Amino acid sequence: MGSSVASVAGRGRTREADFALIGHQESWRAAADVLAVLRGPERTRLPDDELKDILPWIPPRAVCHVDVESIVGAQARGLYIDSFIPPDRLEAAYVHENIARVRGAAACAIKAGAKIVSLGGFSSILIEGNFDQLPERHHTVFTTGNTLTVAFIVQGIKKMCALEGRNLSESTLLLVGATGDVGSGCARCLAPMVKRVQLSARNVERLRRLATQLQAHGVQVEIATDLQGFSAEADIVICAASLASPSLLLGRIAPDVIVCDAGYPKNLSPSAEMPGAKVFFGGLGQITGGLRFAPDFRGILNRHPFPNVVHGCLLEGMGLALEGRFEPFSQGRGAITPERVEEMETIAARHGIYLAPLFNADGPVQHGTSLPGGMIERLTAYASASRSCGGSSWRL
Amino acid sequence: MEPLVSVNDSPMECTSLSASAPIWQDILAQAMTGELLAAMNYISLSEICDDPAEVADALEHAEGERGHAAAFAAEGRKIGVDVTNNVDAKHWKRLRDAFLGCLTERDFIGCLIVQEIMLESFAVASYSRVGKVAPASLGKTFARIAAEEEEHVDHAMSILRAERALDAQRFDDKVHRLHLDVMTTLAQMLAKECKDGHCEVCHATCVKPSLFEVSLSAAELRGASLQQYLKTLDKLGIPGEVTLAWVAQLPV
Repeated sequence: MGSSVASVAGRGRTREADFALIGHQESWRAAADVLAVLRGPERTRLPDDELKDILPWIPPRAVCHVDVESIVGAQARGLYIDSFIPPDRLEAAYVHENIARVRGAAACAIKAGAKIVSLGGFSSILIEGNFDQLPERHHTVFTTGNTLTVAFIVQGIKKMCALEGRNLSESTLLLVGATGDVGSGCARCLAPMVKRVQLSARNVERLRRLATQLQAHGVQVEIATDLQGFSAEADIVICAASLASPSLLLGRIAPDVIVCDAGYPKNLSPSAEMPGAKVFFGGLGQITGGLRFAPDFRGILNRHPFPNVVHGCLLEGMGLALEGRFEPFSQGRGAITPERVEEMETIAARHGIYLAPLFNADGPVQHGTSLPGGMIERLTAYASASRSCGGSSWRL
Repeated sequence: MEPLVSVNDSPMECTSLSASAPIWQDILAQAMTGELLAAMNYISLSEICDDPAEVADALEHAEGERGHAAAFAAEGRKIGVDVTNNVDAKHWKRLRDAFLGCLTERDFIGCLIVQEIMLESFAVASYSRVGKVAPASLGKTFARIAAEEEEHVDHAMSILRAERALDAQRFDDKVHRLHLDVMTTLAQMLAKECKDGHCEVCHATCVKPSLFEVSLSAAELRGASLQQYLKTLDKLGIPGEVTLAWVAQLPV
């Protein structure tokens, strides 16, 4: 492992990165898997107590190189940089420490010469609205990646409704975390398509402002800071709250509700009892041209049941890099509009970045995908092969 | 091996004797041993320097490290404990041997990497942590010496950066080779528990399980030391993904 990392680094020195992805692990198990790859197969995994002692001391830094390829032949080279925010320190109490970590990760991206940087998970939540807190950027631009996340959430909702035979225009949509950048973007995109919208968030003033925006377009809107304040009519729920751990209990919801959990970490508590609910993880896309990690973090940094599935926020940076559009496409809070989402979807699709097959904690929720004909069979075949061969790179 | 300098030759001035004195005694013993070993390393280094200015620098550093050792001994006397040292203790001897290996090859850069990048990272980080929690003059002494050691690192950094600029791959390979030897030993020293028996520096049983009594922990000292090491390697320009793997592969 050591020599392969060194050789990758040697290669990396010859060319600056096109893009960088800043992220963090959402669970100790995920963090343990990352360290296990770095330690190599010949060494034992770190015991949990050692992992929890060591990880908080690791400064933000690159973990691996990421190469992506477009279906039209464009290629981009990048880095995955982990801020090493400990999974149990995502709460507000650690906000200053965590912002410092994201700043440190941003400095790594700038030093690597990345032209565009995507801010994954809490990285964007910590920085959205605080872009002035990033280090001096030289030629590096930052995007939260939230526009493509919104695009994939909206696509996922439409797809799930189609699969379940639901009429979106007759539905009541509940948005949890409605005033965040992703939540408000989803509201703007989906509100015109549904019968009624229920908006939930902690800040009532922001809720009122968003409701006013939507009502100006003739949308029926209810707001509440407490989910119990809503009637139990929501039949589509999007969970996009910035929660430090999966702790959301939806409480009163309609039977057979469609729930999109778009949080990172996930929003829904594992103990949430929602009999009949159709839950899927939202905001995820799949890059079909090719994705390679060096060292091989396949299935470790993207822990999903389908190959080459990545969070939309990170895919936005890759898509823009493949497009050669090095611009801060998503910045700040509340600027995501249906037009911007459509523009980003177009860029992504041009390079073979599509909505990921829908899945949840139990695995795939359906067999159809939005991919071109025959693609799902190839993906499924690859998924089986990759589990057994352990190769370090692949292309569809 | 005899101590390089006698640092316990003035009368003991016991100003306080708390229940934690035996813990500070062992912390001081480790620190003093490290300083004396550093002094020996700098004297050895002076023997392979061609430039008279470098010889003078090395001897000046050696004198500074002896002063640090004497300062730690003096702090021990203030709290009524006798601070011993043992540069032949198993871990410290291995560290000295690694340095001597570079010296035998007249590898000036290798010597600097071992002493300034690896051993000083450990010293700067651990002294800084101790400096934050140790009472009165003891804390101030650790903090002052941490700052002085950091200056040593800065001094060496410019030489090492210039060397790396000549051939980065060769330089990084050398650092890695020395890392496998020196940092593996340091990692064993810094492990939460001494799994290989007594360290031969603590005056009785291992001090690590008692560190919480003085608001320290072995895990914290290890974490801070490895963090300092990674940041120092960053300053040298070695890619972060490479050094992360190096550190991840150390024993725990």
